[in-house]
Amino acid sequence: MRILALATTTLLTLLASTAVHAHAFLDHAEPRVGSTVPAAPREVALFFNEKLEPAFSSVEVSDASGARVDLGKTRVETTTMRIGLKHLSPGTYRVRWHVLSVDTHTTEGSFTFQVGP
Amino acid sequence: MSRHLLHTLALAGLVAAVSTTESLAHCFVGARFLPSTLAIDDPCVADEMSMPTVGWSKTGDIPSATQWDVSAEISKRITENFGVSVGQGWTSLRQADGTLTQGFENFETSFQYQIAKDREHELAILAGLVVDWGRTGSTGSGLASDYSLVTPTFYVGKGFGDLPDSFSWFRAFAVTGQVGYQIPTSSFDFTQNVFIPQQLVYGASLQYSMPYLKSQIVDLGLPDFFNHLIPLIEVSLTTPVANNFGNPYTTTGTVNPGVIWVGSGFQVGLEAMIPINRESGSGVGVLGQLHLYLDDMFPSTYGQPLFGGTGTTAPRKMTF
Repeated sequence: MRILALATTTLLTLLASTAVHAHAFLDHAEPRVGSTVPAAPREVALFFNEKLEPAFSSVEVSDASGARVDLGKTRVETTTMRIGLKHLSPGTYRVRWHVLSVDTHTTEGSFTFQVGP
Repeated sequence: MSRHLLHTLALAGLVAAVSTTESLAHCFVGARFLPSTLAIDDPCVADEMSMPTVGWSKTGDIPSATQWDVSAEISKRITENFGVSVGQGWTSLRQADGTLTQGFENFETSFQYQIAKDREHELAILAGLVVDWGRTGSTGSGLASDYSLVTPTFYVGKGFGDLPDSFSWFRAFAVTGQVGYQIPTSSFDFTQNVFIPQQLVYGASLQYSMPYLKSQIVDLGLPDFFNHLIPLIEVSLTTPVANNFGNPYTTTGTVNPGVIWVGSGFQVGLEAMIPINRESGSGVGVLGQLHLYLDDMFPSTYGQPLFGGTGTTAPRKMTF
């Protein structure tokens, strides 16, 4: 059992010290996932834990009726993806994203935020 | 042709291959990630390795023996939807009188086919054939049989992220399950003079994904460690259903509450094993596992299926 514990510890140490390029997970967003913001944001920014491939990563924002409220051009810089927004009136908005990390793994997701008092 | 266009076309081809085949090596279904569970299998083919899985428990014998189980398993996709796993376990049994029995269990292989992945409904369905090969372990010690076990198995996983937003935090739940019918290649064990039953081997997990909660529902601003946790409860059961003459048709198994911490390239899991009855064990055992996502660690080599993979990684720096 001591040998097993030693081997496992060594493996974990190696893993911790090795730069693994993995699936890109959403680390956090602005506006924050599920939050309510008092003033209409000018853009949505998504921060990932891995570098993204700009040509194949995108985000869109829609209102409660499904109409697009973003300005259409996704900007990607290393681990961050941004998109500008039209003026948002109070309500609930859904952000849908799809990214390709530099190791070719795709991930996707969606969340909502609210604008309003 | 400009470098810009060449790069774009190359990457477009790569992405087309990826997107048409849903190349998500470990178990992603849409926005849902289903971790590799410890007591039952997850519902996806994958390039991954569990090493080691370590269990400690007290057997259901009277008086009970102390049992250690150490096992390793490695899985490889042959095509995008077909994968093979091989595994080997080692067991140590110390009886109450101090008698020690140690040895390898029979060698196990699994052949699995991904029937479906529905991204929108976070649904994964897998069919498999598990074979424990007789006479490949320590038959002399009694820890391995001299007959094989063939178990056609059906696996399913479902996340609840497709529920309406009004379900809020509930959407972070997911369930997985499996059911298999285990058929021994012999019907009678002449060494122990007992019938060898055909058994239903089944189990399920209920999991709550903190990563899903944070990225899809609400970011509570918790410390990062908690955002990697997937608390879960697993149930793993076996019920004799045929060829069990003279023996009780008692269901045995454990209920395993625990937690998995999901990292970049690996996960670590720890569960308690609570026997469902006296025949299943005595007292609470422990099960731990280190699991490696080999597709993340070696994305351009081991992380590709042998046939039909993209065979390369995307360029690290695009020059447009």
